[in-house]
Amino acid sequence: MQEKVVKKSPLPWWAAGLLLGIVQILAIGLKKPIGVSTQFVVVEGIALHKAAPDYSQNHGVLKNEKYQKLGYGWWLDVGLVAGAFLAALLAGRWRIRKTTIWWQASRGASVRGRMIAGFIGGFLILLGARMAHGCTSGQFASGWAQLSLSVVPFTITLFGFGMLTAFVVYRKIPEIEK
Amino acid sequence: METQMLGLLVGGLFGAALFLGGLADPDKIIGTLRLKDFHAMRTIAVFVIVGMLGFWFLQLAGVANMDLKSANLVAVLVGGALLGIGFGLTGYCPGTGLACAAAGRLDALVTVIGMFFGALAFILLYPLVIEPLDQMMQYGKVTLPEYTSTARGVWVVPIVVGCTLLLYVTRGKKKEV
Repeated sequence: MQEKVVKKSPLPWWAAGLLLGIVQILAIGLKKPIGVSTQFVVVEGIALHKAAPDYSQNHGVLKNEKYQKLGYGWWLDVGLVAGAFLAALLAGRWRIRKTTIWWQASRGASVRGRMIAGFIGGFLILLGARMAHGCTSGQFASGWAQLSLSVVPFTITLFGFGMLTAFVVYRKIPEIEK
Repeated sequence: METQMLGLLVGGLFGAALFLGGLADPDKIIGTLRLKDFHAMRTIAVFVIVGMLGFWFLQLAGVANMDLKSANLVAVLVGGALLGIGFGLTGYCPGTGLACAAAGRLDALVTVIGMFFGALAFILLYPLVIEPLDQMMQYGKVTLPEYTSTARGVWVVPIVVGCTLLLYVTRGKKKEV
């Protein structure tokens, strides 16, 4: 059975925002503001330090100590995966899915198309996030929490290009549960 | 060992919150970017308000740990644009992509694989392309109040008002799509 209607989230918006905010406050008090995307480079950095030590020692990013071992950020990402898995399971929402409702409404049933777009999107997401020194967590959410100067230009291009792309790619609107 | 447990704790709560809150749901993200389903936007608005006020409170209490990103204008603008294109194409970002893959979404898993290639491209392009971009128009690791020599409240109050206004404008729950 294919889903055709965008379902409500498990939590209403106010509880969702409050919960995310509380987790952020906890993170800031215990360690530092939340960030996710650095670890993708850290994992590859560790591998490159083994495979190509000369290259890595002279690399502007990889030479930093942070990119030579797994630390707090890595465990945060591992926890993130485990937490989302358990939450989905306990909410009765864990399900194998190959595409999304918006994608089917606008781009048809092709799973292959969704996968190709997913790969290209993922490539741009991480390349962009590291170039900008952070993603939607470390740069956007944590940036606004700390009122960082960098969050202003980041927010403008992130949501500007995000909306522009979504308007081009997703032309047809599916039914949305209210 | 303590670092490990702390990371797992914060990450575990964050992953659960992303999923239960509906941000780890590409349909909710695309709905918000298309301005047709305001759940994610409203969630983010509350997240921003709570995070900002919470940080201020922790700072007044002297227990806030800061981690500012360098405001390197060109790199932040270009990086934000690339991330935005991927975000608008898939409905995922690094955190929600991982969370959605964990919740059984195979397309999110493919996006995560794409992210590893994106990370490799970042490493390989860094010396020749990204580092020069990163060194243009650097404004440093500063906050908006520091940069403009204003009080924090000058920023916090309008942002809270703006987010509240956004919540008010997007309240029309029964509006037909």
